[in-house]
Amino acid sequence: MLEKPVGTGPYMVSEWVRGDQLVLTKNANYWGENIGAETLVFKWSTESAQRLLELQSGTVDGIDNVGPDDFATVEGDSNLALFNRPALNIMYIGFNNNPTNEGFDNAANPLANEKVRQAIAMGIDRNRIVDNFYPAGSEVASHFTPCSIPNGCVGDEWYAFDVEAAKALLTEAGYPDGFETVLNYRDVVRGYLPDPNVVAQDLQAQLKENLNITLNIEVMESGAFLAAADAGQLQGLHMLGWGADYPDQTNFLGYHFGAGASLQFGDKFEDITSALESGAQLASDADRAPFYEAANNAIRTHVPMIPVAHGGSALAFKASVEGAFASPLGNEEFSVMSNGTDTFVWMQNAEPISLYCADETDGESLRACEQITQSLLGYEVGGTAVVPVLAESYEVNADLTEWTFKLRPGVVFHDGSTFDANDVVTSLSIQWDAANPLHTGNTGAFSYWSGLFGAFLNAPAQ
Amino acid sequence: MTTQTIPPAKLDVNTLSLDSVSLWQITRRRLFRRKSSVVGMIILGILILIAITAPWIAPYSPTLSMLDVKPAQDIQKRSAPCIHLLGCPADQPEHLMGTDGNLRDEFSRMLYGARLSLIIGLSTVSFAIVIGTILGALGGYFGGWIDNIIMRIMDVLLAFPSLLLAIAIVTVIGPGLINALLAIGIVSIPAYARVVRGSVLSVREMDYVSASRALGGNTYEILFKRILPNALTPLIVQGTLGIASAILDAAALSFLGLGAQPPTPEWGAMLGSERNQVFTAPHLVFYPGLAIMLTVLAFNLLGDGLRDALDPRLAHMS
Repeated sequence: MLEKPVGTGPYMVSEWVRGDQLVLTKNANYWGENIGAETLVFKWSTESAQRLLELQSGTVDGIDNVGPDDFATVEGDSNLALFNRPALNIMYIGFNNNPTNEGFDNAANPLANEKVRQAIAMGIDRNRIVDNFYPAGSEVASHFTPCSIPNGCVGDEWYAFDVEAAKALLTEAGYPDGFETVLNYRDVVRGYLPDPNVVAQDLQAQLKENLNITLNIEVMESGAFLAAADAGQLQGLHMLGWGADYPDQTNFLGYHFGAGASLQFGDKFEDITSALESGAQLASDADRAPFYEAANNAIRTHVPMIPVAHGGSALAFKASVEGAFASPLGNEEFSVMSNGTDTFVWMQNAEPISLYCADETDGESLRACEQITQSLLGYEVGGTAVVPVLAESYEVNADLTEWTFKLRPGVVFHDGSTFDANDVVTSLSIQWDAANPLHTGNTGAFSYWSGLFGAFLNAPAQ
Repeated sequence: MTTQTIPPAKLDVNTLSLDSVSLWQITRRRLFRRKSSVVGMIILGILILIAITAPWIAPYSPTLSMLDVKPAQDIQKRSAPCIHLLGCPADQPEHLMGTDGNLRDEFSRMLYGARLSLIIGLSTVSFAIVIGTILGALGGYFGGWIDNIIMRIMDVLLAFPSLLLAIAIVTVIGPGLINALLAIGIVSIPAYARVVRGSVLSVREMDYVSASRALGGNTYEILFKRILPNALTPLIVQGTLGIASAILDAAALSFLGLGAQPPTPEWGAMLGSERNQVFTAPHLVFYPGLAIMLTVLAFNLLGDGLRDALDPRLAHMS
């Protein structure tokens, strides 16, 4: 399941050489259209220079996240085409502020103090970070959620940069001379964070200069970092970000700060979770607005994290690739792209962690899954409008509590078995039912499910 | 008939003392005769000078972002070197080696980096020599099971490639400059232990040692005053060459993010953090790379020179 999932998508796993490449072959029985190459190869490199070099030399057909300094190079090369990806993401500095985890000493943790978090929020010049270290098309975040998402930026704007006010708050909190803490991050490039080392060092310099807070930088391995973040085990500050999976507040605020969110930011804040819960239950954007306004304002007060930037990023393809596009959701589908040969090579930032994506949150894993497995509903190519995929249509009752999906007939899995309602129920119950023997996943966190629905069935008592 | 009288040979004490030269004088003479070791010493001298005077000759603090400089400079990150003497417009701020990704002055960082590299090289090798010498001397002098235990542990350490072992140690004790130094120090111990043990074994049964023993010298005296001074020569050569590899290993660890932590201006870390800009800002990888190369080269040239100069088998060359 983790290595070789059987799905209904246009491609199926042929071979996954860990650390080298993931080879997919065309699904001959695919129900939809697939104009892509016979063989689709996923490669990865954390180095933007290497990705660009491979594209320039022609060994790969498309790359993700062109280095911020390389945009001009790609645009000036007639053999290559640059596709800007809209900034539907957020880079934030998280605090593990009042953790319930063992090993934390809240009495000695300055970050457990709300005033300290507010002071740090005011003591960081976010404009300076975005102006200097982000590519064109990026913007300073006024709220956690990008404004193009409905109700994304209702409520008060984020704190303005104000060193004096920050110092006053810090003094009030009992830390007039600053303190020492750590900044955790993973050294991987994502659309929301194109140059992590440089941004980390600028934060370090700013906090030292402005508030005399000493940050010790700790770079972690990507998978370990995400697992530690989810489990609430990161001390001090951490830099992380989020790219939209679907354009809704539940994917941003709900996933991160809702009742079912992970322990990433420590204990939940009642006023945030209750507002989010109310907002998620309504269908109309206008009805939901007041709740999200309340949630945004509560987040601004409690500062579980500091929203920094919505980062612009870009993909590059060979100019000869037909149908190339950049998805705002980061889920580029390769079944609609053709390079005229029987092999298409795609190079992204990192290796997928596993291919059981109900239990993955990393975009590099999700993109690979998108080629192999499918969901009831999906998104139009290159956009965010919802389109039917495995369901042909659906109906909802007035309370939004009952959803009826009409499944697409004639869909077969990679192994030849026919797709029916039982498959859907099994897929969902594996995620929902903690007592299900298959509810192990990769890490077993299933954080999307808990983020969306708040809880698991048969969840073990905490 | 004229008789030529041959003056009797006189023993001139002054001439004699001039003719007798100590081992160190011979070594120095041989060392200066080799061009390559002179080059090594010159590079090293410049490096030491830079390291000592870094705070006075560096135009900026190595961790200061130009964004924090007042008045604010109109400058981009990773800007190319700007040298007024070479035609860079006078209204632009001067940065001899440009600025790095965090808008810090690369030249200042390079100067402070020299300091760090020399400290790294000297401290790790001193650590390894002290521990290695003690272990090797004990093993060589006492022999038997002490020797067996010590040398088998050294064999185990030697079985791993040094950098790999250093990475493993750092992974366990956590990244950081001090931990990296400790790791490199530990992995270099076996080389010194073996060298010292070999020398001790070869002189242990010599007459002057036996004489010393017969005169009632205690173990400490025999080992540290009679035997070890004679094992010093290979240790000096090994140490000088060892500094080069220690600096290289430390740079490698820092490049991998396991050594010096940001914002420390360590050459390997500077190289590593700008590795993706090799095409867009080549100066940011060129200068640290060149500096590492020159430093390692200097120590290697000097080490080679010392080895040849101290080798008694090459005495005829003097």
